[in-house]
Amino acid sequence: MPLRPQSRRQFLSSTGMLLLAASMPASAAEHSGTLPWRPFAALPPDPLPGGRWYVFTPEEARTVEAIVDRIVPSDDLSIGGKEAGCASFIDRQLAGSYGTSDRLYMQGPFMPGLPTQGYQGSAAPAARYRDGLAALNKHSRDKLGGKAFFELAPAEQDQVLKDFEAGKVEYKASAGFFNLVLQNTMEGFFADPIYGGNKDMAGWKFIGFPGARYDYRDYVTAHNKPFPLPPLSIGGRPEWKTGSR
Amino acid sequence: MKTAALFAGLAAATLVGTAGFASDLFDRIEAGRYQAILGDCSACHTRPGGKPFAGGEPLETPFGRLVPSNITPDPETGIGRWSYEDFRSALKRGIGKDGKRLYPAMPYPAYSSMSDSDIADLWAYFQKVEPVSNRVVSNQLPFPFSIRTVMAGWNLLNFSPKEFQSDPAKSAEWNRGAYLVNGAGHCGTCHTPRSLTGADKGGEFLRGGNLQDWFAPSLTGDPHKGIGAWSKDDVVAYLKTGANRFDIASGPMAEAVAQSTSKWADSDLQAVATYLKDVKSDGTAAPKPVAADEQAMVSGKAVYFDRCSACHVSSGQGQPSLFPTLAKAPLVNSTDPSSLIRVVLAGSQAVGTAAKPTTPAMPSFAWNLDDAAVANVLTYVRNSWGNAAPAVTPGQVKDMRASLRK
Repeated sequence: MPLRPQSRRQFLSSTGMLLLAASMPASAAEHSGTLPWRPFAALPPDPLPGGRWYVFTPEEARTVEAIVDRIVPSDDLSIGGKEAGCASFIDRQLAGSYGTSDRLYMQGPFMPGLPTQGYQGSAAPAARYRDGLAALNKHSRDKLGGKAFFELAPAEQDQVLKDFEAGKVEYKASAGFFNLVLQNTMEGFFADPIYGGNKDMAGWKFIGFPGARYDYRDYVTAHNKPFPLPPLSIGGRPEWKTGSR
Repeated sequence: MKTAALFAGLAAATLVGTAGFASDLFDRIEAGRYQAILGDCSACHTRPGGKPFAGGEPLETPFGRLVPSNITPDPETGIGRWSYEDFRSALKRGIGKDGKRLYPAMPYPAYSSMSDSDIADLWAYFQKVEPVSNRVVSNQLPFPFSIRTVMAGWNLLNFSPKEFQSDPAKSAEWNRGAYLVNGAGHCGTCHTPRSLTGADKGGEFLRGGNLQDWFAPSLTGDPHKGIGAWSKDDVVAYLKTGANRFDIASGPMAEAVAQSTSKWADSDLQAVATYLKDVKSDGTAAPKPVAADEQAMVSGKAVYFDRCSACHVSSGQGQPSLFPTLAKAPLVNSTDPSSLIRVVLAGSQAVGTAAKPTTPAMPSFAWNLDDAAVANVLTYVRNSWGNAAPAVTPGQVKDMRASLRK
């Protein structure tokens, strides 16, 4: 494609901007000679310690545990979402910048988006969980004999979740809420165990994912053989202590 | 007539003499600058980013804190009022102006074997260094070490000023190397073990020493703990560029290479290599390696494959000029694991030189590996691929962690 010829005015103004930019003091760090380095330099992940709920009330926690155990039920292939810690994972994520959308642009205008664009509203995930869980339990209590979601039989829970997914619930953000929990449950089941889910790397063992490894040079030529090492978390693996391979 | 001729002759001689003196002085200053590089004076006497030779970073010795002095020619705070004799005496005898005794953190026991002409050159250079007013309180030692005259007793016990004695049975190159290693280069300051009083153990010259939580490995021909496997060219490449086919300098040796040995004349590096390749080891046999099926070895292997092998390779070979070879490496096989524990905990940056400017760095693992994991992985590294060295204990790692975090 031919370049559009520049006008003299365009040339002068762009050159002027360039000179102006060049004469401004640089704000970026400058280094010369050797690269900067200091001992103990590290940016380790800083997950919240488990053993408590940060965002969820007791009823919310039990509700989320019941949901994740329906999305990933325990069977002979793997443990369920509750035992894997998915609810705790979600709670800890909601307690951080994910829960408040601190790291997203949240000033509006909030326009309806396409389905492929995901949630476009003004509520942050922590608030969406609060509203969504309340709606879920209200729906459950209204329709199923006054029982909260976590008190229902598994088949009934599945039906409530299907109703939510299909948007059959009288709740303005119900469809979005189901997708949110589904997404976060999968994240909790497959994220690194240091973040509270994927207990004992159960999710990774389930699908044969080798974990946070970075060196496969010894194995790239070993065709048609299973990778011999167990999965590895950022925090390590039990074999570091037990000594078994 | 006779008188006139004498005068004319004198005048001519003076003229020639003056011209000769000027160029001679320039040569001496330049030669002195080179001596300051050989002696790596700036390593201690220049603060990082500070004015040259105006006083350095505090040294934490086992006896307390010493701050390297201002050796610029500033009359108030430097050595501007010193005479050549004061300067010579400081280097040769450890006694500065007005009989003030130096502490042997200043390696005068090594510098004492420097020749008078090299010291005179160094003096000529230091008189031309920019004077900087910077008062340094060198002596921050606790009592009784704070009493400088204590060093008279130390010197009596541990130090006898010695001129360098060349060995006529050896080549001129060997003798030059011996002069550099023992004198200005003061290699033994780190690489020779120290006695309880902090003196070099004379009988164990260059067999490896511990200083400020770093272990400087043996430079003897020991095939296990020393540089027996290194060729002369390997030694020269290491000192000149910071890296050779086995290793890459880091820690205090990175500074020594960057500021000193990388600027030495090639002929001097050759001489050092010739001499070092002739330094005898203690002749002790390598120990038996820790058995591969021991719990620490098996656990350590798991850590090694998960955290180390991407750079140092599963066979411990590393990558030339980037990641040191761990297999059969002198430092890895040394009895004292201090440097190894230290770099695993804190990380380390390799030297950058004109020839090898990359400065590859090892990351810190202190956040990720607990004391047992560090101990196990080092025990594995120290007893695999032909290596053999005592197992590292979690207690050693705990102590180093505490010491480095101070």
